This record gives sequence, C-alpha cells and structure tokens, in this order.
Amino acid sequence: METLVVDRVVAGYHEGIDILNGLSLTARPRSITAVIGPNGAGKSTLLRVVFGLLAPRAGRVAFGERAIQGLRPDERKRLGIAYVPQGPSTFPHMTVDETLLVGGWTIRHDRAGLRRRLAHVYELFPALAGLRRVRTTVLSGGQLRMLSLAKELVVMPSLLLVDEPTAGLAPRVAGEVYELLVRSRELGIGVLLVDQNITEAVGIADYVYLIGTGRVQREGPRGAFAADLGEIVRESLVGVDPTGHARERGGWR
Amino acid sequence: MDPTLLTQYVLAGLVIGGIYCLMAVGITFIYSVMKMINWAMGEFYMIGGYVQYVLITAWLGPQRWALALPLAVLTVAALGMLVQRLLLQPMFAGQLERLDEYATIVTISLTVLFRNLAVVLFGPYQFSPRDYAPPVQLGPLPINGSRVVAFLGAAVLLGLFALVVRRTWLGLALRSVAQNRLGALAAGINLSRIDMLAFGIGVGLAGAAGALLAPVFLVYPESGALSTVKGFEIIVIGGLGSLPGSIVGGFLLGLVESLGSVLISPSFRDVYGFGLLLLLLALRPTGLWGEQAREA
Repeated sequence: METLVVDRVVAGYHEGIDILNGLSLTARPRSITAVIGPNGAGKSTLLRVVFGLLAPRAGRVAFGERAIQGLRPDERKRLGIAYVPQGPSTFPHMTVDETLLVGGWTIRHDRAGLRRRLAHVYELFPALAGLRRVRTTVLSGGQLRMLSLAKELVVMPSLLLVDEPTAGLAPRVAGEVYELLVRSRELGIGVLLVDQNITEAVGIADYVYLIGTGRVQREGPRGAFAADLGEIVRESLVGVDPTGHARERGGWR
Repeated sequence: MDPTLLTQYVLAGLVIGGIYCLMAVGITFIYSVMKMINWAMGEFYMIGGYVQYVLITAWLGPQRWALALPLAVLTVAALGMLVQRLLLQPMFAGQLERLDEYATIVTISLTVLFRNLAVVLFGPYQFSPRDYAPPVQLGPLPINGSRVVAFLGAAVLLGLFALVVRRTWLGLALRSVAQNRLGALAAGINLSRIDMLAFGIGVGLAGAAGALLAPVFLVYPESGALSTVKGFEIIVIGGLGSLPGSIVGGFLLGLVESLGSVLISPSFRDVYGFGLLLLLLALRPTGLWGEQAREA
C-alpha cells in the first residue's frame, strides 16, 4: 500500500495560466482524503495531474518510493492508481458486463483472477448484478455513476481518485455512493476524493484539505473542520474577495 | 429485359459492392476510434494495388497471387501504422482535445505525396497483373475469375474484421476507445497504441481492396481518387460511424451503379450513386444507421 505525495506541483492548461500554484498534499493508504474548495480552485486539475492526463510544469508526484510524473495514465493504472472522472466513464453501446470487462483490461491475462474480481464487484454492487446484459444507455444517472465506480474497482486499486462522484444525483443515491467509498476504504483502498458536497465529503473523510486558487489553504483531520464547516460551505458558494467582502460567484456548478 | 443479363449485372454489382464495403468500413472505423477522417484512404488503396502488382510480377510470380494478397495487406497496414506514429500521433499528445483540422491537412497532403511518389517510382503508366483465376461458370453465366476472388477476399476480410471487433480483447479495447476515450484511458488502455492499430487496420482494409482489384481495374497513381469519393458516398448513405451502415451502403451503391448502367446508360455510372445519395439526404439526412449529433 503506497502513499501518494504531491509536492509543490504547478500545472495549467494554457501557457502563462497556472491552475495549480505549488500545491502539496498527501493521500495515505486505507484512508479517505477529501479535497474541498470553491469552483475553479483546481480540484479536478489536481486529479488530472495525479492520473497523468495533464503534465505538471514543476513539482513532483510520487506514489510510494517512485516518482510517477513522467508516466502515462495506463502505466499509473498498472501501479494501482484508478481514476473515476466527473463526466461519464462508461461506454454507451456496451452492456454492463462488457463495461466491467474493460475495467479489468490490465488484468485480462489472468482469466481466473479476472472472473473472481468481477464476481466480487457484483457482490459490492448488487444493483448492477441484475443488469449484466443491459446496455448502459438505458441506465439511470445514479446507476451510471455506480457503474463508473464499479469499473475502476475491478482491478482492486490501491488508490482511487474520485472526482465529484455525486454531482447531480438525488440525495438518497448520493448517500449510496458515499457508502461505497467507505466500503472501499474497508477493503484497503485509499481514496482521494474531490467534492463540492462539502458536508458529505468531510463527513466520511479521515483527512481534509481545503484548497483555493491552486494551493492548500488549510488542512487537518476531519475533526478540525467540524467547528466552522458551515462557514466554509458558505464561502465556497459565495466566494470572498481580497477586501473581505462577500461577492457572488457565477453559480456553484 | 433478359433475366440472364440482369442476374449478371446484379452479381457484378454485388462483387463491386463488397469492395466498396472494405473502403467504407475502413473509413468509418478510423473515424469511430480516432474521431478523424482519413482523406488519404484512396491512396492506401492505390498503394495496395502497386504492392500486389510488384509482388506478383517481380518476386513471387503470377501463380502465387494468393500469397501476395496477405503480404500486400500487411505492407499497407504497416505503412499506415508508421504514418500514424510519425504524423498523426503528435496531434493526440498531451491533452485529449482533438484537432480535426490538423488531421485533415496531414491526410490531404499525404494524397499528394503518395500520388507523386507513385509517379516518381513507376512513372505515369497504367499496370495490370494477369487475371488471378480462370472464369467461373455460374449456371449459364461466365464470371471473371478475378472478380470472384475479389468478392470472396472482401467477404473473408469483413468476416475476420467483425470477429476481431466483437469477440476479442483487442476488439473490446477498440470499441471502448471509440465510445469514450476518457473512459478507456481510465481503464488503463494505452490510447496511442490502440490509435496506431486502428489506423493500421483501417488503411489495411483499403490496401486489401486495392490488391484484390489490381487485375480488375488498372493500377496507376490516381487510381485511388475515385475510391475515396465512393467510400465517402457510402459513409453518407450508411451513416458516419456505423459499421452495418457501411456494409449495407457498400452493396447498395454497387447494385445501383451496376443496374443503372444496364437499365439506363453505362456512361453515367458514377452519377447513379450520387443520385441515391441526394435522394437519401432528402429523406433521411442522418443516413440509414446514423445518429443525430449529440452534445455532451
């Protein structure tokens, strides 16, 4: 079980515009690390850098002893890092079964092992077990999100990167998603969770980072955030400008 | 109308339709996986014809045409993978944004390059290898043996292609990349390798069409130009991104051209397909199997 260390990473999509400004954080194995912060703080960008979709301009990303910032995403996946993006990660013309097979791509040569893993995933997601031969286009938004998560759990990663897993979901379904993340931790998987649902994310987290404009502004165990969580939620929705006056942001999603 | 003659023309239409299918499936397959259109498809067809011609005239001898066919296909596929790695891969580097304009410029430049390369290497002449097989008697009808070989070759290749796409791990990876690149990336699939293979397979199908038709039509530097146009006609008829659409569209175009030639006039052979195209666009703008564009 490896620890993920992000060390003073600078990254952005366009020249001269840095989204991450020397961000450092650590995600420990077998625990849930939540990253919260307002829109545009760089939360999704952080996960893209960790999975290798975006190369950092400076800084270091290490997984255990190994520096991984030069590796391709498929190489990182083989090291045990899995990524559940915010958008759909499933395939419209495939069945649920086929989607999970794709999830098992990196362990495809071990046929017996793969079959065991698939059976285990269906135990974890009983709702999907009845839909094996169903095309993913007919699934509900909640079921698709579950499938995206299930697909990445097939290989039993040691670190799961999760981007806004409950955005747009009904509260009851969102609750099921958070339960599954807790269950993943029980299975020995470390989770790096990026979320706008601050209260829920902090509620299941072991350690929390609050980030803004590409750096960590505050960090600590869950308990340290309990007292002023309401304040943080309000600020993330409204935003605070340097003069201290609250100002409207363009919506929160 | 004499039924024997009609049957003959229907058969001729099906034979040419099978070859059209190869071109169209290749185009739509590359588009599905890489989200780019390969405008140089006809040039890979042309190269397939040249490789086949050179193999059986200079090296293997005309009797071993059956051995030359797979070699020609593999040569074109390898050339395609090289082109993909050197010229197209850079456009996918870094972010997942796609740059269609870049792919269009590169592949159109390739058509110019390959045609002129053919002139430099072989001159502006037209070549034709000897017929692959003696005429086959089908009932009262004699059918040109090379056409029969071309049809059977196309059928075998299309069957093999369907088998790989539907039944193998490689096929699963290809389908996943075609349906959601980010989802495939998250699954740990090496996208650049899949793109390279997809391009190789796609242009390999065009090369196969060229090699199979080498004795039927002539081999010359511009021979691919019309086949690219035909390929796109079929894509529009069948619907972009639809493999069944490409197959049905290919046979439909072959039949329409062939029957139009005999029932109306052979001088307008290439016009009938466009008539079909216009009719279809008026009635069903997405093509037979096409989907309406979806945002997000």
